[in-house]
Amino acid sequence: METTAVTPGQRLGYAEDYTAGDGTYERDGILYASVVGLRSVDSNMDGELPTMTVVREKEQSAVPEVGSVITGKVIRVAPHSALIAIMVVGDTPCREDFSGSIRTQDVRAVEKDKVKIINSFRPGDIVRAEVISLGDARSYYLSTAKNEFGVIFATSVAGATMIPISWQEMQCPKTKTIEYRKCAKPF
Amino acid sequence: MDRRRVNGPEQSIAPILKNVPVRTPLLDKGGKRVDQRTIDDLRPIFLKTGLVTQANGSAYIEVGNTKAVCAVYGPRQMKRAGFSSNGTLNCEFKFSTFSCTKRRTHMRDSEEKGYSQVLVEALAPAVRLELLPKSAVDIYINVLENDGTSSCLAAAIVAASTALADAGIEMLDQVTACSAVLSEKQIIMDGTEAEEQQKEGDVMISYMPSLNEVTHILQSGISDPAIISQAVEKCIDGCSKIYSVMSTALLQSLSNNNNDVDENKS
Repeated sequence: METTAVTPGQRLGYAEDYTAGDGTYERDGILYASVVGLRSVDSNMDGELPTMTVVREKEQSAVPEVGSVITGKVIRVAPHSALIAIMVVGDTPCREDFSGSIRTQDVRAVEKDKVKIINSFRPGDIVRAEVISLGDARSYYLSTAKNEFGVIFATSVAGATMIPISWQEMQCPKTKTIEYRKCAKPF
Repeated sequence: MDRRRVNGPEQSIAPILKNVPVRTPLLDKGGKRVDQRTIDDLRPIFLKTGLVTQANGSAYIEVGNTKAVCAVYGPRQMKRAGFSSNGTLNCEFKFSTFSCTKRRTHMRDSEEKGYSQVLVEALAPAVRLELLPKSAVDIYINVLENDGTSSCLAAAIVAASTALADAGIEMLDQVTACSAVLSEKQIIMDGTEAEEQQKEGDVMISYMPSLNEVTHILQSGISDPAIISQAVEKCIDGCSKIYSVMSTALLQSLSNNNNDVDENKS
């Protein structure tokens, strides 16, 4: 598989011979590169056209999209939402934090109306969540309503790293006190 | 005597005009300019990416004596609240205070704000903003030395396009730019400051070479329509020459990255 370096706007091939993959786009029946990188052709299963992609060296700073899994830190809690600073999208860190919020109805899947944000998140917790919509002008809308989403790391009032004991509770190893969080299922 | 209105003087005298300064010819007997270029020659270009490490992408350009740095930050969240399904491109163009013959202010004046808008208009058609909802891409251009304003603007556009590609932002094509000074029915490509002092008009073209589309035309001063169309053609030719320099700079940064990775591995 030959790999040649290409620049944006360089012609890669005809649209009838290849499918446009990441880093490429199609216009008037011709595939062009849209980033700087190494071009590579992945042959698909028989009957489908091979995909042409351009693998870029420098990762573009990640942008959250609907359906992507993000990791972030809780900045502020309000009565009906928690403000999150989105720091990592998937596996790519963001150069600058994006802002997201988790509303009460998106914290968990059961008993949505009885949720108290203060018993689900606290400022300083690290959470894993899913982007459910682009949200409003100020923040993306996130959801932790699945088993694998929720608080993944939290510090207790005493300052020690807490251990999750159920999906609703975390325990401080030093003082043995139980604090309420919406915990993610550890792998 | 009309008492209801403010009257001018009853007798007025025309002002005395000073002598019109003598224009030195831009081309000598052999058809060469002061720096020994022909009328169609562009100045040599030096272009390098990766100068500003904190930015997502950056480029440094030298065109003759003109020097400019461009840093691109993005895609990042828009500072101003406002939902938009496409991304926005923001540009801040600034002449350093020591860059021009006459000292410039620290604050961005209206000329620089105008040039910032020109840059946005020239680059926006080439960036795939529909892939970056709610995000902003910020371009910061700092001119360190200005030898001819319209050619400096062209250099800034070239640097910005290279920096955008260096940041990994998806683009339809690179944007090249070239300028020409119009003086005494001649089209002088890539004018310096001295040549611009005597211009009657100038033209700057921004062009996407691979897609063969002009993204922006900036024309100022007085000129003939026939000469303008000729100047546009010449600028597009100049742009195609610049394209190879840009591609080389980007591919060089790619091979440098590969070499670094190999050194780290071994």
